[in-house]
Amino acid sequence: MNGHPTRPEDFDLYALGILEGEEKAAIESHVPTCAECAKKLAEARGRITLLAFSAPRVEPSAAVRERLMRQVHAAAQSAGVKHARREPQRAGGFFGRWWAAVLVPACILLFFVTTHLRKENERLSRELGQQQATLQRQQKQLDEALHAQALLESKDTVSVALAPQPGMPKGDVRVMYNSKMGMAMCDGWVEPAPANKSYQLWLVPKEGKPISAGLIDGGPINPWTVKLPQGMAAKAFAVTLEPEGGMPQPTGPMVLVGPVT
Amino acid sequence: MSGQTGTELRASDAALIQKIVQRDESALAALYDRYASLLSSLLNRILRDTQASEEILQDVFFQLWMNAAQFDPARGSLPGWLVVIARNRAISRLRRHNPSDGEELLETSVIVPVNLENAITQQQLLGRVKGALENLSTEQRAAIELAYFEGLTHSEIASRTGDPLGTVKTRIRTAVESLKRNLLS
Repeated sequence: MNGHPTRPEDFDLYALGILEGEEKAAIESHVPTCAECAKKLAEARGRITLLAFSAPRVEPSAAVRERLMRQVHAAAQSAGVKHARREPQRAGGFFGRWWAAVLVPACILLFFVTTHLRKENERLSRELGQQQATLQRQQKQLDEALHAQALLESKDTVSVALAPQPGMPKGDVRVMYNSKMGMAMCDGWVEPAPANKSYQLWLVPKEGKPISAGLIDGGPINPWTVKLPQGMAAKAFAVTLEPEGGMPQPTGPMVLVGPVT
Repeated sequence: MSGQTGTELRASDAALIQKIVQRDESALAALYDRYASLLSSLLNRILRDTQASEEILQDVFFQLWMNAAQFDPARGSLPGWLVVIARNRAISRLRRHNPSDGEELLETSVIVPVNLENAITQQQLLGRVKGALENLSTEQRAAIELAYFEGLTHSEIASRTGDPLGTVKTRIRTAVESLKRNLLS
């Protein structure tokens, strides 16, 4: 059948959703081509709609309204001015453009996903930076350990014991020095430095000015190695008390000193 | 009814739709307050599941917010459209159909024979619909309810009730004729 439905109730039966097979197909193929029958079907839908009034009254919870208004508010903010400026589009039919209902939530979802991914990226970048710093620190420690091992195993390395000077803070510091390698290693202990002061280790050459070999913290010294000019003939090693952070040349009193023999 | 002005309470559906097009959230709230009870009753009758009913209720009104610009009051009734969409979605969920497989009805016109915009009319309609259904035989009323609230077809009702298909078809056709007469009288 591709003509008008023969019985007026057919529209109501279709609106009720009870038709199937050929009966349903006949209505669906004809109505889009016939304005008169489309109107009859719209009226039938309206009549069938009234059956909804026979359902027992159930009021929705207030939470539904609250959720809806929050959802609407979020969508309105997301759509912004662009949405407000949109002109009504009549040509699409009663309620066309269903995609807007998909697109806006999708944009909101995309915004949250993008924000999440950006934060995740930042977090991973921070972790990567921390891991690279850790790796560099461990590489440096490994290099120092290898240098220290080479220093200690070399027959050219000499051990210099630094003795405390009268009236100065007590300490027991030893320097392992290798002129050919241009390297020294320091360990031992020294009393904590006075406030705003630092202990500074010096290589005192046979000729020329003292060369800084680094700062020493008070208390037990964590053994550390330091690079010095190669081939330097050392006369002694000394520890002086300098302004906090050290000085280019010694300015304070000598706390510890030991000759290189 | 919280948060509405007197103007919104009295405004027509068409006027409120225009306000929604202009992104007036209070206009949607007004329409919600006008029709949420009707839709909630229908959804709960179909699904018998409060949570699922409330999800669909919220979704239908959100769709109204999103698509208000496409609504043409001259082509049909807003509450009619809301009821058709809500029922369609509830039946789809009940029968585990994808709504897109059935009638999404976005292009559907619904011409309701009475104006549902005010609460008094809705109240009067309750009595009229109940009266029209009470005029049906028990079998007719049961068949209509299986069709409308459970979304069953002729053959599914026949299978459910054990009656011959022809009997079911005749029963429902006469029931629809009776309803049509009584509802419009």
